[in-house]
Amino acid sequence: MKALVSRRGEGRSALQRADELGKRAEYLAFMLGTEAYAIQIGNIVEILKPLPITEVPRADPEVVGVMSVRGRLVTVVDLKRRFRLTRSFTMDKKSRILLVDAAGELIGLLVDEVLQVYRLAESEVEPPQVLGTEQPPHVVGIGRPAGGAVLLLLDLAPLFLE
Amino acid sequence: MAENTGGGGRGESAGDKAREEFFSEAQEIVDGLSRDLLALDDVCRRGGSDAELVNDVFRAVHTLKGLSGLFGAAMMSGLSHELENLLDDLRLGRIELTAQVLDLLFQSVELYGRILAAAKGDAPEPAPEVKALLAALGQVAQQKGGGGGSVVAQYELDPGLLGVLTEYEEHRLRTNLQAGLSLYRMRVQFQLATIDSALDDLKSKTRPHGEIITFLPTGEGGDSESVELEILVASRENLGVLKGAVAGPNISVEEVRRRDGGPNPAASIPPPPFEDAARRDASDPYSVSISPPTTSGGDALLDEINAASGGASRTSAPPPAPSFPPGPGAAQPGTFPPMGLPGMPLPGMGANANANANVSGNQRELTLRSVTQTVRVDIRKLDHLMNIVGELAIVRGVVARLSERVRLDPDLKEIAPDLHRLHRSFDRHLAQMQNGILEVRMVPLGQVFDKLARIVRQISREHDKQVNLVITGAETEIDKLIVEELSDPLMHMIRNAIDHGIEDKDERMRVGKPPVGTIALNAFQKGNHVVLEIEDDGKGMDPAVIIAAAIRKGLVSESEAREMSHKEILTLVFQPGFTTRDDVTSLSGRGVGMDIVKTNISKLGGVVDITSDIGIGTKMTITLPITLAIISVLMLEVAGRTFCMPLASVEEAIVFDDAMIKTFEGREVMTQRGATLPIVRLAKLFHLEGWRPGVWINEAAATPKPPEVRPGRKAKSYCIVASVADRRVGFIVDRLVGQQDIVIKALGRSLKKARGLAGATELGDQRVGLVLDAAALINEVLASSPEGRIAGALEGPRSPKPASDVRGDGGML
Repeated sequence: MKALVSRRGEGRSALQRADELGKRAEYLAFMLGTEAYAIQIGNIVEILKPLPITEVPRADPEVVGVMSVRGRLVTVVDLKRRFRLTRSFTMDKKSRILLVDAAGELIGLLVDEVLQVYRLAESEVEPPQVLGTEQPPHVVGIGRPAGGAVLLLLDLAPLFLE
Repeated sequence: MAENTGGGGRGESAGDKAREEFFSEAQEIVDGLSRDLLALDDVCRRGGSDAELVNDVFRAVHTLKGLSGLFGAAMMSGLSHELENLLDDLRLGRIELTAQVLDLLFQSVELYGRILAAAKGDAPEPAPEVKALLAALGQVAQQKGGGGGSVVAQYELDPGLLGVLTEYEEHRLRTNLQAGLSLYRMRVQFQLATIDSALDDLKSKTRPHGEIITFLPTGEGGDSESVELEILVASRENLGVLKGAVAGPNISVEEVRRRDGGPNPAASIPPPPFEDAARRDASDPYSVSISPPTTSGGDALLDEINAASGGASRTSAPPPAPSFPPGPGAAQPGTFPPMGLPGMPLPGMGANANANANVSGNQRELTLRSVTQTVRVDIRKLDHLMNIVGELAIVRGVVARLSERVRLDPDLKEIAPDLHRLHRSFDRHLAQMQNGILEVRMVPLGQVFDKLARIVRQISREHDKQVNLVITGAETEIDKLIVEELSDPLMHMIRNAIDHGIEDKDERMRVGKPPVGTIALNAFQKGNHVVLEIEDDGKGMDPAVIIAAAIRKGLVSESEAREMSHKEILTLVFQPGFTTRDDVTSLSGRGVGMDIVKTNISKLGGVVDITSDIGIGTKMTITLPITLAIISVLMLEVAGRTFCMPLASVEEAIVFDDAMIKTFEGREVMTQRGATLPIVRLAKLFHLEGWRPGVWINEAAATPKPPEVRPGRKAKSYCIVASVADRRVGFIVDRLVGQQDIVIKALGRSLKKARGLAGATELGDQRVGLVLDAAALINEVLASSPEGRIAGALEGPRSPKPASDVRGDGGML
């Protein structure tokens, strides 16, 4: 097994490996129900404790509602409903709203808990195909940082570009 | 509606910013161009001409060309180039300023606007139109004639000299000769060391007596320290006077004789200068006569142009001064009787012209200065500021509550008055700040009026009706966003006024009206609203014709028509599909227009009202809120949620109970003052009843209270009668909270599917209230329940409400 890993390492040039070291990307990990997800930290504008949210009739089912963040209207989306993990909204003391810039619009993502920031090297990211050949475009890979956590890495743009 | 994107934080690259600047600057120049053309058209129609205006137009086009070149706007650049050629021909007198040429110029302004819109991505590029215009410009250029070169040929001038004249000099020469002036040739020896001052000296001596056309070195008579110049002077005076004026050593003056030996005009008795000019202009009303007194100003301008374009720079630009002597007996301005050609600069009013030239010079400087004092601001930045003010308003609310608590707390009694004072002061300054920002958003209505003036000219020419547009109140200010949205509705109304209102000339004469029709465009402020009136002195609207047309189009039944009041009949023109015309003209009569006008005005929170008298005219009155950023709403509650209904759409609110309902095919309607009113329960429309409020909302926040009794049952509820463009629907709600002015914000793109909402606003306590889009909801409700069918079932006439009643200020409970 060890031999296998080292052989794989040999297959890449020193230049490539140096590249990978520099290419560590920062991800914020959070929980949706029992599953851990992560998005690139550059997308996140702010992490907020839940504010009063006003329901919007006729909006998509995953839309929790709108809230006002220092005078700006923000649409709050429940990713759990988006991913069909649950049918009802829940919110508790650990709940947070990630304010993200999704395809030019300010969106609040309702998550159950914010975990931590991970710096993932390219070698710590598996391609989405390990989950199966047909993966939705917002799934960009699986993060396996040291320490044993497993994170589903998300790209927000495809989620909000419809 | 207000697009308060709450932006400002969006990063813009320097390139974007420069492009934005380009757009607004180009737009400004195009607007100015339009104004100049209108002025030119005006002068032209009165048989005069204005060289300065032509030069202004030329300069504007030249600037546009430069700008567009800089930004790679190829189409604009190409158009500007051709226009520049045309204008150059115009100012050099190679072509005449005919109505046709003016048409082309006006068309170009139109196209500039569209090219700019296209470049911004708002519209497709008007490529075929530009091509057509370029072709038309080319044709005009073909027609240019020599414009009287023969006059010059009649004089004994050295062809070599003629060959080196600049085109402008040649034009000046021709114009002066045509005006009957004599031509003199001076030969002057200048010492090289002092040539500058000596030449200036000579110029100032000559100036009171004539215009220096050109000066050129002769190449003879000079030595290493001196040079001989030949100076060509056009003057109205005889040789003796001129000789006396410039007398000095090394100066010889001689007259350039006509080849045919004909009398040199000035040598005989000089004709009264104004008569001369008048004759020329009367015989040829559209020719550009660059009249002598304006030449000095024009000259200076041309030098500017030359300098700006890096073209032939003249060695010394003459300071603005009359290049013309006061005519005999015209030593004092005002000696001449007033002429029948207003706006025509009179030769001989040298002193006045001089003053004018100086004034206009000063004005130019002044305008330059004022430009540097203004700042162009993206309206989104103002929205951003407005949002911050909105936040502060919320802070103010919190402070007010704190202040109240402190007042009631015996331990804190000492600081209570201070806190109260602070709160009051904060309150006051915040209100000032809000007003200040609103003020910045305001622009004068003149912006849109200028466009309308152009359209009136175009339409009246197309339609061969003479129309005089009288504008008052162009300085009235209104929100920038409203001005943008106003131009289309106003254009429709003006088109209607010309097409349907103003009679043709013969008809007007027959009924004893002046042949030229008048359309008055008045604007004034009335409280928190701006009122716009469009009044024509045409034939007025005939109720019988309207009724007949409405019946023919199936908009009303004959029995309904009999019961309608005069006002209700007039309001029929706002019905979709209404037209009195069977033939469709290019102007109007296609049955689209007035309903769109009404809908657009309603969208801006405004109302339209018509009054009309047969044979006397029609008056349309538009009342608009001054700003879109703040709208008045009726706050209401449905199933524990707060919504806002724009007051502009609310007709009245009435206490409602279920007994008032009748049901047809499952649709609910009620009878209100003898008319059928379709009703809809907002809770049902929005599927609010099944929601369980408060489950997931932060505990600290004020959770919406569940309604005490289920709506629509025994509890008292209310029916809000809302209308848009004469379509009315009653909305059933649980509770009326009250009236409030709110800052409306647009919902994000992700909420596009949520139809029926115009935006949202902050209610205080960090809560957000949704603003209903009354027009969309009404259309939705009526689309799913054709009102005609219901009305038919009830046998009640639909009663289009007169627009004046479509206000929310009365009838509220």
